Amino acid sequence: MSTSMTPPASPMPPETLPGEATRPPVTAAPRGEAQSPLEDSSRRTRWLVTLLIVVALLWTLVPLVWMLMSSFKNAEAVTAATPQFFFSPTLDNYRNLFSGANNLGPYIVHSVLAAGISALLAVGLGALAGYGLARTHMRGKKHLAFWIISTRMAPIAAVVVPLFLIFRGLGLIDSIPGLILAYLTFNLPFAIWLMSAFFAEVPSSLEESALVAGCSRWQAFWMVILPLTKSGLVTTFILCLVFAWNDYAFAVVFSGPSSQTLPIAASQLVTQTGIDWGQLTAIGTIVVVPMMLAGLAVRRWLVTGLTLGAITGE
Amino acid sequence: MSRVLYDEATRVYPGTERPAVDALDLDIHDGEFLVLVGPSGCGKSTSLRMLAGLERVDGGRIAIGDRDVTHLAPRDRDIAMVFQNYALYPHMSVADNMGFALRVMKAPKEEIDRRVKEAAGLLDLTEFLDRKPKALSGGQRQRVAMGRAIVREPKVFLMDEPLSNLDAKLRVQTRTQIAALQRRLGVTTVYVTHDQVEAMTMGDRVAVLKDGVLQQVDTPLRLYQHPANVFVAGFIGSPSMNLAEYPVEGDEAVLDDTRVRLSRETIQALKEEGGDRVILGFRPEGVEVVGEGTPGSFPVTVTVVEELGSDAFLYGQYADTTDPVRLGQTVIARVDPNMPPAKGERVRLRILPGKERLFSVVSGRRLPA
Repeated sequence: MSTSMTPPASPMPPETLPGEATRPPVTAAPRGEAQSPLEDSSRRTRWLVTLLIVVALLWTLVPLVWMLMSSFKNAEAVTAATPQFFFSPTLDNYRNLFSGANNLGPYIVHSVLAAGISALLAVGLGALAGYGLARTHMRGKKHLAFWIISTRMAPIAAVVVPLFLIFRGLGLIDSIPGLILAYLTFNLPFAIWLMSAFFAEVPSSLEESALVAGCSRWQAFWMVILPLTKSGLVTTFILCLVFAWNDYAFAVVFSGPSSQTLPIAASQLVTQTGIDWGQLTAIGTIVVVPMMLAGLAVRRWLVTGLTLGAITGE
Repeated sequence: MSRVLYDEATRVYPGTERPAVDALDLDIHDGEFLVLVGPSGCGKSTSLRMLAGLERVDGGRIAIGDRDVTHLAPRDRDIAMVFQNYALYPHMSVADNMGFALRVMKAPKEEIDRRVKEAAGLLDLTEFLDRKPKALSGGQRQRVAMGRAIVREPKVFLMDEPLSNLDAKLRVQTRTQIAALQRRLGVTTVYVTHDQVEAMTMGDRVAVLKDGVLQQVDTPLRLYQHPANVFVAGFIGSPSMNLAEYPVEGDEAVLDDTRVRLSRETIQALKEEGGDRVILGFRPEGVEVVGEGTPGSFPVTVTVVEELGSDAFLYGQYADTTDPVRLGQTVIARVDPNMPPAKGERVRLRILPGKERLFSVVSGRRLPA
């Protein structure tokens, strides 16, 4: 499922690449006049940047487009020795996915529940903990922050076995709550860390002003601070959602028949008797498209969120 | 409207030895405009934040009216605060910003509208009520911050350097507006600034702080004329008071080739602390340029003359001095703007009778004249 790992990159619109966005417009020297070395080099830089963008776009989009096209091809066209760009589209692959004994419906439900709920929980708890972390003056705060994010740095493989033992003891194997908890173990530290960076950007005089105006701590947080970190909340939610939605490693270990997610369904199409490329690309499309749409829908916040800052309006 | 009382109020930040605010005693009358002034790090902002409840009080107590608020949450103190960066809520319109406190109190909507409109009218903000703070100029934002405090109708206004983000001209304008507004509303106000001109022009009384310790609290004029110690003398007034150390011989301070007679009380006080030197201070307007040979005068070499139109100030060095303490020290004197001395010229200055202020070298306190 290598294609399902690409959505985080695709919502980033090409025009926001840092090198391009901040560059002043380059005015070309009139023809025939000698160009100064400075203009010459800035022109060269612009070409280089354009070239890099084109390469990055091709790198990102070609597999996606190919997957999308293949999902509408019949079996012959998918596996044809010469790649086919023109073909009569068919919905057969999708129809097959949603019919028969191995209906894709429940997998989608499991994925939506596990990824959605775990991302919501991660953002909610991450916001609370991140706010506390951003505002506390305790000693060793930086170390604590680093420790929290460092738990996210461990490879998934390293935690799968201990988690499996714990989950088995708690009866959480093959359950949606189990998956949610598994995703939370990875997403929560990340959410705390990211949200605390957003809260640190909000001047503390804003909540002090709210406290003096008659707010309780909670009211100040809810009415003043939280609305100001909207882009942070959206960014964190999307990044957590993408992680959980794309996950295969946790799902393959912790889920069973009643909790299997989309990536598992995709892997089941790879059998010893053969690979159904048509259906596989159709699942790939079903996995990738929602994340792309979500990314595009919140693009405005995502871009300000990923760059941090400019949230106080000062 | 209420009296505010600091009673030995102390704040020690964790991990520091010296208190940020050290046993502050301050009695602010009902309706008074009190200014806390001092150099950065003197504890003036901390004192204000203690009153707001944003800073813990580690010792002593603070009262607003008859109520001890030492350990009350900020929201239970019935105060309104204007912050240095205004702390306007960027996601709310001007009207919502101004009505925020009332909304939190769950006041009826019509009442909020009425009070917001009233305050907006008072501050020339009516046409901006629907705007977001981002779309306002610095001066307008400042007025919104003021409006937010006014709408609240609190017992006390707290203002933490509310003018320091404005440009110089606007600052002077707004300064008088705030002072006038405060007198009109009659609400007790505690105002923090590092700018002594602001303090002098706005406050009914001014409290001067240094290193967390209250130096003196008095009316601007009395602070200017009767500073309690060397620090206040040097801090209040612009250009500042000339302060220099002179040896004492008999009952006279020796100003190089001339002498200033000290009163019996001064000599007595000097004797008690066993000093043979005295700090003599005089304001730039407390001296006059006199002719050669005038008794009690001392020579000064002019280095710079500042001509302001209505005034002219001479900046010079003590000429002929042999005292290492005074070598290189600057003397500032107000001179006739119509015929100021030239740069490099040598003039004689004489302290006008009764204009000298004497301070102890040991304690810095003013000596009885």
